[in-house]
Amino acid sequence: MPTYNFKSIQVVPPAKDFIDIVLSKTQRQTPTVVHNGWQITRIRSFYMRKVKHTQTTWHDKLTQILDDFPKVEDIHPFYGDLLNVLYDRDHYKLALGQLNTARNLIDKLAQDYIRLVKYGDSLYRCKELKRAALGRMCTLMKKQDASLKYLEQVRQHMSRLPSIDPAGRSLLLCGYPNVGKSSLMNRLTRADVEVQPYAFTTKALYVGHLDYKYLRWQVLDTPGILDRPLEERNTIEMQSVTALAHLRASVLYLVDVSEQCGYTLAQQAALFHSIKPLFTGKPVIVVANKVDARPLDNLGPEEQALMQGMASEAARASGADPADCLMSMSALSETGIAEVKTAACERLLAHRVEAKVAGKRITDVLNRMHVALPKPRAGAAKPRPPVIPPGVAEARARRDAGEKRRTERDAQEEAGGAGVYSADMRKQYDLKDPAWRYDIMPEIFEGHNIADFVDPDIDAKLAELEREEEELAAAHDAEMAALAEGVEELGSDEEADLAAIRKKKKELVTAHRIRKAAAGNRPVMPAKHGSRGDKTVGRMRESLGALGIDTSAAEARLRSESRGRKRARSAARGGEGGDSEMADADGGAAGGAPAKKRVHSSKSRSMSRGRALSTAPPTPSSGLKDAAQRNKAVKMADRGQRLRNKAARAGEGDRVIQTKMPKHLFSGKRGMGKTDRR
Amino acid sequence: MPQNEHIELHRKRYGQQLDHAERKRKREAREVHKRSEYAKKALGLKGKMFAKKRHQEKAAMKKTIAMHEEKDRKKKADDGAPQNAVPAYLLEREQADRAKVLSNTVKQKRKEKAGKWEVPLPKVRPIAEDEMFRVLKSGKRQKKSWKRMITKVTFVGPGFTRKPPKYERFIRPSGLRMTKAHVTHPELKATFCLDILGVKKNPNGPMYSSMGVMTKGTILEVNVSELGLVTPGGKVVWGKYAQITNNPENDGCVNAVLLV
Repeated sequence: MPTYNFKSIQVVPPAKDFIDIVLSKTQRQTPTVVHNGWQITRIRSFYMRKVKHTQTTWHDKLTQILDDFPKVEDIHPFYGDLLNVLYDRDHYKLALGQLNTARNLIDKLAQDYIRLVKYGDSLYRCKELKRAALGRMCTLMKKQDASLKYLEQVRQHMSRLPSIDPAGRSLLLCGYPNVGKSSLMNRLTRADVEVQPYAFTTKALYVGHLDYKYLRWQVLDTPGILDRPLEERNTIEMQSVTALAHLRASVLYLVDVSEQCGYTLAQQAALFHSIKPLFTGKPVIVVANKVDARPLDNLGPEEQALMQGMASEAARASGADPADCLMSMSALSETGIAEVKTAACERLLAHRVEAKVAGKRITDVLNRMHVALPKPRAGAAKPRPPVIPPGVAEARARRDAGEKRRTERDAQEEAGGAGVYSADMRKQYDLKDPAWRYDIMPEIFEGHNIADFVDPDIDAKLAELEREEEELAAAHDAEMAALAEGVEELGSDEEADLAAIRKKKKELVTAHRIRKAAAGNRPVMPAKHGSRGDKTVGRMRESLGALGIDTSAAEARLRSESRGRKRARSAARGGEGGDSEMADADGGAAGGAPAKKRVHSSKSRSMSRGRALSTAPPTPSSGLKDAAQRNKAVKMADRGQRLRNKAARAGEGDRVIQTKMPKHLFSGKRGMGKTDRR
Repeated sequence: MPQNEHIELHRKRYGQQLDHAERKRKREAREVHKRSEYAKKALGLKGKMFAKKRHQEKAAMKKTIAMHEEKDRKKKADDGAPQNAVPAYLLEREQADRAKVLSNTVKQKRKEKAGKWEVPLPKVRPIAEDEMFRVLKSGKRQKKSWKRMITKVTFVGPGFTRKPPKYERFIRPSGLRMTKAHVTHPELKATFCLDILGVKKNPNGPMYSSMGVMTKGTILEVNVSELGLVTPGGKVVWGKYAQITNNPENDGCVNAVLLV
């Protein structure tokens, strides 16, 4: 079953493009380098290949075109005629014929030239022959430009033809222009055809699909036909005529009873009678459209007679009852459309079945078919009613009597509504004995029944423990009370001191809070470097002295730590070991400026330095035992600080491949053993 | 409009995009730049083809512009030839041209009178023997070399029978035999594919003429009965001479011009 859509035809390029396509294909797909020094046979085959390749390409492309376009004889006569109407069959065949001729000529030409190249005795001659061959092929095709352009247009138009299945179930709408064919089409299907209030809005065949009885139906909207001889009809009308002539469809002849289309009822009847021969053997229905504007009853007697005449003709053509062949509808108010559709589809179905039964091939099917018609039983007197279980029958009887089942919802409503009522799940438990429903279930934990481990006197024991606890607490309270009795009262001085202490604490807290609030979230300068200037020796003496603490030693130490008026550098340079002696004299309290200097372990510096620092004992607060330990610490720190990988040399932390190609892996035969182990 | 023209249908129903004209104008304006990009980028065969196409377009454009300019240019009404004789320095170019044409026609006539055998290609390149022939080895040991194969296109009459191959000195390969020629009638300016009747004269020598070798400049006798030429006496001419104008061995066909 061929499907009729012509969308798969490939593009037909115009001659100029065609030539470009073919020549560049040759250029791309054949070798391009040839030398004079080659053997002459090689040169010949080089050029022969070019000629042959070009010829093959032309041949393939033209064959493709010739195969793509359908042969008028091979396709359904409906499409054959449609091609004739739209594109002029002679022109079409001529164009294809010319391409066929061109293809043969090219084949012959290539053969001739290949023969000539075989006699070529120089590169130049071979090349000239190739050039002549390609040139003549191109000239040949250049002359086919008109055919190619025509075929391209035909292709484009054909690809847009609606795909109509000529053998399928179809409804065909026909009639004068502007009688409402396209409107009906839009009502019946989703084709979304253009509807305009002027004649010949529809200029081509349109197809839409609808579903009736789970079958797919195509609806064909045809351009309007005018009542004139066949020879005078134009291409647009001829498309309708072609469809009418070739498709075994259910024909809906639309008549505009309101005559709004500009044609009188008499004219429309005349057209019907003139195209009547096309209706024979098809179900035809005369559809009176636009009855919303003018109902059928309003027609005059002559017009009624015309309608009846058409109906009887339709009935005669399709062999049906004249009453079935006249229907009325309105596409605007959507009345009668469903009836028209049903009637048309039903009649076509019946018609197709009849045609099938009348045909020859039906016997093949009937031979294989058997319709079973069972006879009634011999003893049919005794009835065999269906078996209904008694419980079901009872339930049904109760239901019929009007008794309602009590549902959970009813229970909920009675017990105070949703949220208050708690459904009793246990009621529904499906157990062997319904009495078990409210039994207590044992709680099992890790294979043990918890009830087995419950101490029966646990409450009594707990009460005993609580009582003991209370006794102990009471004893403790009594003891504390006895102690409190022994504390004597504070004197008035002590009271004043306490008050002063509390006040001071309060002040400190307040000051701290104020400071903290002022600082916000900003970093706070440590108090040591505080700019407030409250950490002075005088203040220390004042505050500590008030507490009765002698601050002279601390003062002396601080003084020794501070730089004083003297220049520190000259002092450091001055006396040998002056610093350390002073530090000793201070009892090691002077950590001081010299200790802050970075100390190196390098030996090179030892010569330029005065006395080795390493011989001096470490400061007592540094946590080091003696000079040796201190020196070791210094060394370790130094090593840690050394700039790593200073010279960018490979260090021991780097990944290293000792041998790039170990000999045992890369040499030797593999006669025995494996690739990497021998 | 066929059913499946969705774009057109949409345009018809809803119109075009609001800035359609603007976009179109811009696209057209960009076209020049695009083309120049391509022209700069295209290499090889594509580049050549593009350049040629563009060159043709430009030439056509220039011609059109020149024609328009010619049309628009204001000219003095031409009052034909001057009434009196004018000295040479007053001669306008057009008149000089006409004079030249006249003198040319006179020359042509003289020429035609001069020799009956004046032919379109008076001079041809002489063809050496080793270009004309290829030596074939023969004999049992392949050491005799008296055989020759003709490497040019030949005409061999219909009734020709080969000599016994053993004694055949000159071989005219059947692949290089031709029996048709494309003959141009110089006055009709039309070309016909005519049968060759015989080789009248090969300019390279009488031996070649007798062997029917067709090279450039060879005079052929062709069958012109199809053309329906008639002698002054009223008889139909069927044989006429024509001169070969191309190198048939290079072109694979014989082109000739009719001698009238």
